[in-house]
Amino acid sequence: MSPGFHVTCGDPAVRAWIGEWLEATRLEPPGAIALTVRVASEVPPTRDERTPFRQPQLEIRSGPPAGGVRITWRGDQAQACIDERAARADLVITRSALTGRDALAQGFLVAVTVFLLRRVGWHHVHAASAVDPRGRGWLLAGDAQCGKSTTAALLAAHGWGVGADDLTFLDAATAPIEVVALRAPIALRNGGLALLARAGGHPLRDGRKRGFFAEELGGRWADRVRPAIIALPRVDGGKTRVEPVERRDALAELVRWSAWVALEPALAQSHLDALARLTAQATCVRLALGPDLAEPRDVLLALVP
Amino acid sequence: MTTRFVRHPDLRHTAVDGEGIVLHLGSRRYFSVNETGVVLLEALVTPRSVDELVTTLTDAYRVSPDDARRSVVTFLERCAAAKLVVAEES
Repeated sequence: MSPGFHVTCGDPAVRAWIGEWLEATRLEPPGAIALTVRVASEVPPTRDERTPFRQPQLEIRSGPPAGGVRITWRGDQAQACIDERAARADLVITRSALTGRDALAQGFLVAVTVFLLRRVGWHHVHAASAVDPRGRGWLLAGDAQCGKSTTAALLAAHGWGVGADDLTFLDAATAPIEVVALRAPIALRNGGLALLARAGGHPLRDGRKRGFFAEELGGRWADRVRPAIIALPRVDGGKTRVEPVERRDALAELVRWSAWVALEPALAQSHLDALARLTAQATCVRLALGPDLAEPRDVLLALVP
Repeated sequence: MTTRFVRHPDLRHTAVDGEGIVLHLGSRRYFSVNETGVVLLEALVTPRSVDELVTTLTDAYRVSPDDARRSVVTFLERCAAAKLVVAEES
């Protein structure tokens, strides 16, 4: 079990599986996090009239009047009720949900973990993290199609440290702000795989992606990164280019890619302030990603010397 | 009867390099604000009339009262449209 997490479950096999999943994330939160898990044939009906915030396969209800957060996955396959302040969650997982554990972990447990980590001062941002050969930390923030994962894989192939390709947390207790990575394979679609030009990798849950750990590509895993550069990438057909961007605009983009920042009034301000501190400590650039990123020379290092 | 304006309780904001981002928790929309906007938003923690906000700006910047009033009115109109401020009559 990863330090900091405490899982209680009447089903020892499910408890062991959740413990192994948490351990694989390599997250070591700064405060105690408790999950109480119950395996059931169905999630009991709950009256909650709060307007849900919908994400793929997730419905998230938060804020007043009930307080706390209620997350449901795939309708009624799993549910989490997270305490308003304490890093504590009660989960109900159906037996049918347990038949697809990878999907359950990536779709449901990750979401629950994001909200629990907020309560111990780690705020989620949808971004990749890396450390270049000069020791500078990078954060690449953007949506699912902006090239974060392909870039992370190519940077690893150039010997960079890579933390995460998608899921990172700002540690609000650090100054300058450090970004903590949830360890998971860098997930590539066919386009990214073609650029990487490497066979193998781990089959991932949806069958359309393959995953690589940074070490498998010639890089290393960077569990913590102190970003000196915030890059806002987009895929572009031409040569890779870097353009400066105002910090205010970069902050707006980070808020955009931290969609859950607005979900809990009591935590929104500290999340926003962490994003602002992060932006203030970094050089901010827009990054147009071209296929030359896959060339043997390190294009990004040449563009941002 | 005096109209005073105050920040909407669902508003959160933060700043970098003097400029800011405003987040409305209810609508989950966010807005960029310039340096003057940050000063006004900070003043709007407590209810303020237009005259008081004009004074806030003329105290903070070398700006004429007429220019400050135009800035305040425009800012309040935009904020009201986005439900970032609430008007109170007293």
